[in-house]
Amino acid sequence: MTVQKVWSLFDRSQLYECYECSKCSGSCPVTLAGDFLGPRKILLKCLQHGSGRVIRDPLLWYCTTCQVCQDRCPQEINIPELLTGLRNKAAKIGNIPERVKFTVEKIAKTGRSVLGFKVERERKRYNLPPVVEISKEEISKILAETGFFKDLKIDH
Amino acid sequence: MPPKHRKIATTTPGKDPRIGVFVCHCGLNIGGTVDVDKVAEYAASLPGVVFSAANLYTCSQPGQEEIKKAIVEQGLNRVVVASCSPRLHEPTFRKACAEAGLNPYLFEMANIREHCSWVHLHDPEAATMKAMDLVGMAVARARLLEPQKEITVPVTKSALVIGGGVAGIQASLDLADSGFKVYLVERSASIGGHMAQIDKTFPTMDCSICILAPKMAEAGRHPNIELLTMSEVEHVDGYVGNFTVKVRKRPRFVSDECTACGDCTHDCPQIAPDEFNAGLSTRKAIYIPFAQAVPSTYVIDLDLCLNKEGIMACDKCLQACKARCIQFSQKEETLQLQVGTIIVATGVDVYDPTSLTEYGYRRFPNVITSLEFERLINAGGPSQGNLIRPYDQTVPKKVAFLQCIGSRSTRSNKYCSNICCMNTIKDSLLIKEHWPETEIKVFYIDIRAFGKGFEDLYRRSRREGVEFIRGIPGEIIEDPETRDLILIGENMLLGEWYKYQVDMVILSVGIEPRHDSRRLQQILNLSTGQDGFYLEAHPKLRPVDTASSGIFLAGCAEGPKDVKDSVTQASAAAARAGILMSRGEVTIEAITARVDPEICTGCGMCIKVCPYHSIYKDEETGVARVVEASCAGCGTCAAECQFGAIKMLHFSDEQIYAQIDSATDNEPEKKIVSFCCNWCSYAGADFAGVSRIQYPPSARIIRTMCSGRVSPGFVRYAFARGAGAVLVSGCHPADCHYINANMQTEKRIRRIHKEMRRNGLNPERLQLAWVSAAEGQRFASIMEKMADFLKRVSPEEIRKTKEVYRKYLGEEAAQ
Repeated sequence: MTVQKVWSLFDRSQLYECYECSKCSGSCPVTLAGDFLGPRKILLKCLQHGSGRVIRDPLLWYCTTCQVCQDRCPQEINIPELLTGLRNKAAKIGNIPERVKFTVEKIAKTGRSVLGFKVERERKRYNLPPVVEISKEEISKILAETGFFKDLKIDH
Repeated sequence: MPPKHRKIATTTPGKDPRIGVFVCHCGLNIGGTVDVDKVAEYAASLPGVVFSAANLYTCSQPGQEEIKKAIVEQGLNRVVVASCSPRLHEPTFRKACAEAGLNPYLFEMANIREHCSWVHLHDPEAATMKAMDLVGMAVARARLLEPQKEITVPVTKSALVIGGGVAGIQASLDLADSGFKVYLVERSASIGGHMAQIDKTFPTMDCSICILAPKMAEAGRHPNIELLTMSEVEHVDGYVGNFTVKVRKRPRFVSDECTACGDCTHDCPQIAPDEFNAGLSTRKAIYIPFAQAVPSTYVIDLDLCLNKEGIMACDKCLQACKARCIQFSQKEETLQLQVGTIIVATGVDVYDPTSLTEYGYRRFPNVITSLEFERLINAGGPSQGNLIRPYDQTVPKKVAFLQCIGSRSTRSNKYCSNICCMNTIKDSLLIKEHWPETEIKVFYIDIRAFGKGFEDLYRRSRREGVEFIRGIPGEIIEDPETRDLILIGENMLLGEWYKYQVDMVILSVGIEPRHDSRRLQQILNLSTGQDGFYLEAHPKLRPVDTASSGIFLAGCAEGPKDVKDSVTQASAAAARAGILMSRGEVTIEAITARVDPEICTGCGMCIKVCPYHSIYKDEETGVARVVEASCAGCGTCAAECQFGAIKMLHFSDEQIYAQIDSATDNEPEKKIVSFCCNWCSYAGADFAGVSRIQYPPSARIIRTMCSGRVSPGFVRYAFARGAGAVLVSGCHPADCHYINANMQTEKRIRRIHKEMRRNGLNPERLQLAWVSAAEGQRFASIMEKMADFLKRVSPEEIRKTKEVYRKYLGEEAAQ
């Protein structure tokens, strides 16, 4: 797991535009809720220490990808994209919360992220037609191709 | 239609040229990349070159002495220096030549620094090859150079100063004190500018209006200054020393006899927000901008007044005025002024933070800008100097300043506004002076206290207990009950999150170019930098000159600066203008058009394209004639003439053909023959060099005064010689330094594109690009793109092009 690989998912030169105003961290709704590092610190750690330590941090998954950090960044740095890249890497080394893993497994198996029977029940109540059937094999195939099962160590 | 026949340069060398070539190392600037000795050796082998040498610094005194010595000892009649941009040192070397008795127009420069060594740092071999080519081209042109005589024109001993802020006032006073007539044009009703609005100045904490008002008054009564308020420059004609300026003067509706008693205002029924107080108070339709206004005359805002279009609906002010100075009959006037020099001091606008919705300016009444703060804390302001919250008029106990609002951001202005840090520090001390108990927090990214006495003021502010917190709040939330403001963000230095409740927030807003600065830019043919401020001729050595001779910059129009720097620059601009005017005459470059009456058919095409209307048809002889005094030398007439009857002095067809020849001697398919106009694109290429932006070494730049000089023949000839691609570049359409000559360029290129398509050639091989003097990056990326394109041009295509354009090679070559 070298640093190089994370940068391959993200345009690194963008990060050097950061001049540490901390408007992103000030805007981040998650920082008020817990010990989340905040976008600024994540970005700075990636630049100065490499992403090795950041992707081991379980709090990385607190980010809601609401994109307010990018919206307000004076340098228009695409921070959510960095977070997405980091989380892809984190998942590969097994740093992925059970809840998230449960959801992605659900997608792999059913093609949907939410429980099917609950949705059907609700739809029935509003007289909506049942959800269109999805080809699970197709989804499975795509996910297998992308290395999804191997990376997340999911049996299928 | 092809020209009947044009002489080809290589076959007609000038009269027995004895050329001396001096190749400059420029320390390591050139020598570090280019093999200078090899270039000098190559130069020696070129026909006509009798002397060649490499120097460490050609521009140094010993370097110049060597040129002079060689001229005398070797009997040189042409000199070529291969070094930096002619835009930098051409005058230096021309002078050296003249001192040795050589006509300065027999000097030529090869730009192997900005256009070669600096932009090909990592490819010494290609850079050396290119430098050799560039020297070859310069020598080829030098062979055909002819001595020219410069004409001198008188300089009108009066100046126009545009903008009556502190910079404009200072420049006017300096010039007026030197004995020159000054027209000070100000568009609002009073001079004074932004400085009049500010309460105190940093770092000395002087009362701003107290130090400005005496200067304003002096400017108002100075016998040499004609103050034109409510006026705007409409049109400028002419050239250095002889500008004709049209000024539109809007009516004030109050005559000069006004005693400023204020009785009229008292009775006026119409009310509007007061601009001077940043909208925090009201004024009437008849008003005086502020107490110290100069001229001290009231003014009627006709948009607000009830009397419109000559219909009198209200006469309260007329009744109230005992001096009888209200004149609704006043009309707009257009004045025509003759001036020798122009100083642009138009100042800046203040950034409007409304678009930064997270800070709630205009939504939350207690969020104000630093300019509004200045008016609140000023004793003459709407609250008589009491700092109050706009919502409930109470004195705030906790105040927060937010820095870098509208500065240093790709979302607003990219540059640092220079003044906001110190302004906030000064403001914090002002609050502490009157209300020492106030808690003040300054949220910053970096504090830039760089000037004389600035650090002391910063220290004083910290000692007074002002808290400086690193980390800009992400957002401001308003408590709907109390209208207090909650700031949320990260205290970076503590690594903690903060949530502060304050009574009032002051957004420390930046400054930006005037919203309509583009208008004056077009009137005066100025350039702007990437940030939108007017561009100086040289950032270090000619900081107040512009690229247009006789026009100077002062104050914030050139870039953000504080009062002291504005005043310094204003005095500098006045001195520069004064030099021109006290000398009383100025020499104009001998680059003008000349018509050969033998060849001219009197078709009148040149008359149509001349942007200056300097060509007329001589009724007697039936041929065209050029008025040399008003010819600016763009050369668009010569490019238009189908018969080769117009000769551009110093940029003749022969000289340019010789350059193309030399550029395409070796491996022409790998070259981009590039025509760059002197003012924008050549300067843009220079800027790429100064910024060390790297691009492929395929360009061979030929300088013309204007892209309009590039005749279709040049392009066809370059293709006939087998050039891989041709680039014609000039100023952006509205920025042409010769009014609109580059419009002709566009037309001509379109014509050749059509012609190429008709002949089954890829028109992409001829590119037209607009590059301004500030767009080095753009120039480099165009080169990058074209070099990339060049790789895909097949030898077959080159062969075909050569065949199509074969007839343009001239008689001898075609045989």
